[in-house]
Amino acid sequence: MSKRGIPFGVLAEFENPADLMDAAAAVRRAGYRQFDTYSPFPIHGMDDAMGLKPSKLGWIVLIHGILGLIGGIALQVWSMDIAYPVHISGKPYLNFPAFVPVTFAIIILLSAFGVFMGMFFLNNLPRLHNPLFHSDRIAKATDDGFLLCIEATDPVFSEERTTLFLKEIGATFTETIPLEAPDKSPGTETGTVK
Amino acid sequence: MDHSKPAFSEPLEFPKENRISVAFFAAGIIGIVLSLIGYVVNTEQFFYSYLTSFAFIASLMLGALFFVMIQHITRSSWSVVLRRIPETISMQLLWLGLLFVPILFGMEILYEWTRPERIATDALTQHKQPYLNIPFFVIRNIIYFSVWAFLGYRLYKNSVVMDQNGDPALDRRQRILSAPGILLAAFTMAFASFDWLMSMDSHWFSTMFGVYYFSMSFQAILAVILVVILYLFRQGLLTDIINRAHIHDMGALLFGFTVFYAYIAFSQFLLIYYANIPEETLWFYYRFEGNWIILAYLFLIGRFVIPFVLLLGRKPKTNYSLLMGISLWIIALQFLEMYWIVMPILHKGAISLHWLDLTLLLAFAGISAGLFFRQFARHSMVPIKDPLLAESLHKH
Repeated sequence: MSKRGIPFGVLAEFENPADLMDAAAAVRRAGYRQFDTYSPFPIHGMDDAMGLKPSKLGWIVLIHGILGLIGGIALQVWSMDIAYPVHISGKPYLNFPAFVPVTFAIIILLSAFGVFMGMFFLNNLPRLHNPLFHSDRIAKATDDGFLLCIEATDPVFSEERTTLFLKEIGATFTETIPLEAPDKSPGTETGTVK
Repeated sequence: MDHSKPAFSEPLEFPKENRISVAFFAAGIIGIVLSLIGYVVNTEQFFYSYLTSFAFIASLMLGALFFVMIQHITRSSWSVVLRRIPETISMQLLWLGLLFVPILFGMEILYEWTRPERIATDALTQHKQPYLNIPFFVIRNIIYFSVWAFLGYRLYKNSVVMDQNGDPALDRRQRILSAPGILLAAFTMAFASFDWLMSMDSHWFSTMFGVYYFSMSFQAILAVILVVILYLFRQGLLTDIINRAHIHDMGALLFGFTVFYAYIAFSQFLLIYYANIPEETLWFYYRFEGNWIILAYLFLIGRFVIPFVLLLGRKPKTNYSLLMGISLWIIALQFLEMYWIVMPILHKGAISLHWLDLTLLLAFAGISAGLFFRQFARHSMVPIKDPLLAESLHKH
């Protein structure tokens, strides 16, 4: 079987941001879920057109924040009152006003970890290679290209029908992207067929 | 996105047949009459209640002034559709100085540092004489009120003139005015809070007090703006102009400044609590003594924890009835916190709510809300020729 045989997805280019937005809405209406759009700048309203749900990142951060709240108070109650009680200017061992700054800082620290690592997790990062880069077209997304890629993992995906559909909704260019890198220079021994 | 000249499908003027300003004026006049009776019955209580309500109303107008200037400095487009509301509120600063005059006649009752026997016997009061003396106090207040009246009136006037001629130079002038204006307003507001409220305990000082007063007022003014917008919605006004995204951002700001308020109020308390220096702790001692501490806990729970939890998510920030409830609650707590700052000096150790507290609140709130709505009805409810209006209308 040819290594070019397994597609990663179909890439389509559109004329302008408005066309891309209409296309995204049409793709979603056609039942596709595994697709993404690529543009040189953020397009307002694209989230709605693609039917993206609000990010779950907030919940991840909330859980980290609550862990920080509990952990911060537990740490201080244990160390200041149970493990090593010290009299400080006549104040009680369980001195909650004084615990607030440390607890606050721990909440912030854990929330920041939550944001950072949660963002990586939700974005499938770190990812060393994306088959999209097998296409030369994708570079236009950082310049003047408005691109949309429907991935082969989508249950509705079929190479011919998806390509045809993208052309119908106004794509100016379509291309099937292979899952594995095509041979760029003939004669290399990489990518031997199993 | 169509950024061409916006066309409006609904009226931009506050309807003339809406009599809400008359209702507020009537309430205000009832408040004034009852308060005048109270003045004869209990003069001392009258001045304390008067200062409470004055500090409450002044904090809202000053908060509005800051809100307007911040929008101009940052050249923000999102807030243009709702900017006429805080503009009209801060325009009322024009006559706020007049309301301060009665306080000058009650200074010996309100401020211990003006009492001759106190000056004669108390070394610390003598030491503070170069700053805390009546002529300088009056001069300072004249400066505060003229700065605020100038800024509030000018920013409003430029905005309504722009409604007529759409001159883009006015937009630039607003920014040129706001940049030094915000600095001036910050200093005058901080010193005004020192003079009006902090100097009541003349031994006590907190460099944080100005920021504390600002943090309260800014949280409260966001709540006031939200209440006005949601009231207009209920009247079927501006429903196509102010959209969900604007309300969401107001909710987010209210959430943010809830945290800011808690941070500032707690920082002031924590430093004094931890250092434990008698002359610093005394202010909190009186305000925690007896059942006054109930109010202190109420502010912690009611002004921080509850709004924080309720506004944390994305959906509640666009839930109109929830926002209305939280906003009214925060405005009520803003008054109560003024009460908590002023009144423990008169009623040591126990809360004792006097009917004058309520009649003076009625008088102040009635008259200023009445004046607000009367002024609001005179011009368009949105700055129709603001260069950023089209962008603001398309916010999402």
